Amino acid sequence: MKRREFIQSLVASSALAMTISPSVALAEEVKPKKKGPNDMDYQTALDTITNKKEAKDSDKIKLTVPEIAENGAVVPVKVKVDHPMEETNYVKAIHILNTKNGNARCADVNLTPINGKGYFSTRVKLGGTQEIVALVELSDGSFIKTAKSVKVTIGGCG
Amino acid sequence: MKKILLPFAIMATMAYSGEQFAMSDADRAMYAEILENNPADIFVEEGSEFFEEIGDEEALAKFLGVSEKDLPKYIASFPRYIKKLGNVVGVDQVLQAMQIEQGKKRFKLKSENMFSMLAYVKSLANDEQFNIDITADRHIKASYALGKKTFETKRGGRGLSCLSCHSKDVIGMILRTQPLPDLGEAGTGATWPAYRMTKSSLRTLQRRFQGCMKNALLAVIPIGSKEMVGLEVYISKMSQNSKKALAIPGLKR
Amino acid sequence: MSKNRKSMIKIKPKKFKVGDIVKVNFIVIHPMDTGLTKDKATRKIKPAHYIDSVTFSFDGKPFTTMKSWETVSTNPYYSVNFKVSSKGKITVDYTDNQGEKNSKSKKVKPKG
Repeated sequence: MKRREFIQSLVASSALAMTISPSVALAEEVKPKKKGPNDMDYQTALDTITNKKEAKDSDKIKLTVPEIAENGAVVPVKVKVDHPMEETNYVKAIHILNTKNGNARCADVNLTPINGKGYFSTRVKLGGTQEIVALVELSDGSFIKTAKSVKVTIGGCG
Repeated sequence: MKKILLPFAIMATMAYSGEQFAMSDADRAMYAEILENNPADIFVEEGSEFFEEIGDEEALAKFLGVSEKDLPKYIASFPRYIKKLGNVVGVDQVLQAMQIEQGKKRFKLKSENMFSMLAYVKSLANDEQFNIDITADRHIKASYALGKKTFETKRGGRGLSCLSCHSKDVIGMILRTQPLPDLGEAGTGATWPAYRMTKSSLRTLQRRFQGCMKNALLAVIPIGSKEMVGLEVYISKMSQNSKKALAIPGLKR
Repeated sequence: MSKNRKSMIKIKPKKFKVGDIVKVNFIVIHPMDTGLTKDKATRKIKPAHYIDSVTFSFDGKPFTTMKSWETVSTNPYYSVNFKVSSKGKITVDYTDNQGEKNSKSKKVKPKG
């Protein structure tokens, strides 16, 4: 990992190594150098899923993510949709997306009324500070969404 | 009061206010929820299968010369002097000795299988308080003293000791974006083995010591050595003093 | 090609009745390699290896299907709700991008 090698070389060279400002360590921008197998940016992913239909911001979606994530490898995500789950009116799908990873997609969950509630939870990897987006499809074909920012700190000892 | 001389660099870094990087209580609650579905649980279950192969609680109790009923409390008294093995040992060393005694394939102390089995056996003592008696005999006395000495000895290229970052004076200061914990109050000894999120694996306390040493540019000490067992005694005693009950497997960054 | 992957299904709460909505939590040990990281030992890039689909079924009938990507954490966790209709068995079938197919089941035992 580039960051680790960078820090290690500084530690080896001078006592001031430990004064690396934590703000430098904060990944404000994620610049993916290598291409992953499923890379797709957020807008393309959004358009693909919604087929370019409008996805209105909605407070019916309760998206719970940490404001600050101690490490980007395991970021908990919880989505609860305040909407019925009846035979003809239910939450059809919950899509978890991110805005700055090489692949903006995390999970695409197809629900049925048997779920009882429009809910999904998982843990995702974030390459740096960015937003998590919960994009919800309802059984009538409409889309709603909400987003929250997660600050990913890259620090800690080992 | 021992005067701790820290390299200027560390002091400067530690002086940073922690607010911008501090996880809120709501954040910590989310991470606490992960504990309910800890990947470590799967490793612990695997550990129970390994333990079954060497005879389960019945065999362990027999090996240690205690009743099965007393086993949880007894496990919470480790590391301790085991006459049969002639040393102060951790539970993992007892399990390894059982494997050798039974002619079974022995797990290396620093192996995933041993970590899993250790996590399972230690979890049998969950909710118990540590009851390490550091005055019980000359062996445990020496082990504790060696652990304390190892904790306080400066070594390595940066002249750091465990105490440099884990003394009472620096608790709460920020180092590399993390607030330095009070090892006793944080229940450190009581919450390892744990799942480490940054390593996506189950790790033990001594294994964590090794990681910490590597980071501080100290020569890594082998797991199961007198010094490492001493360190485990020393750190576990801190949780004992802070009355932190065992809660294994833990979940760590 | 099936590998003996370790996984667990947890139902919360532990005690429930018919008609209750419970949480079905599935955790599985899987590297979820993105194809962008190096193996520390060999220094070679580890090929992408991640769970790409998960299906939750009750007594053989799927009630949740999902696509999972390499952006999900290593040793992943997937949790959905389930409305208990009767005694039965929940099965989680999952596949990964390298063709592995696996399955885990848990009995559903409502009280009353």
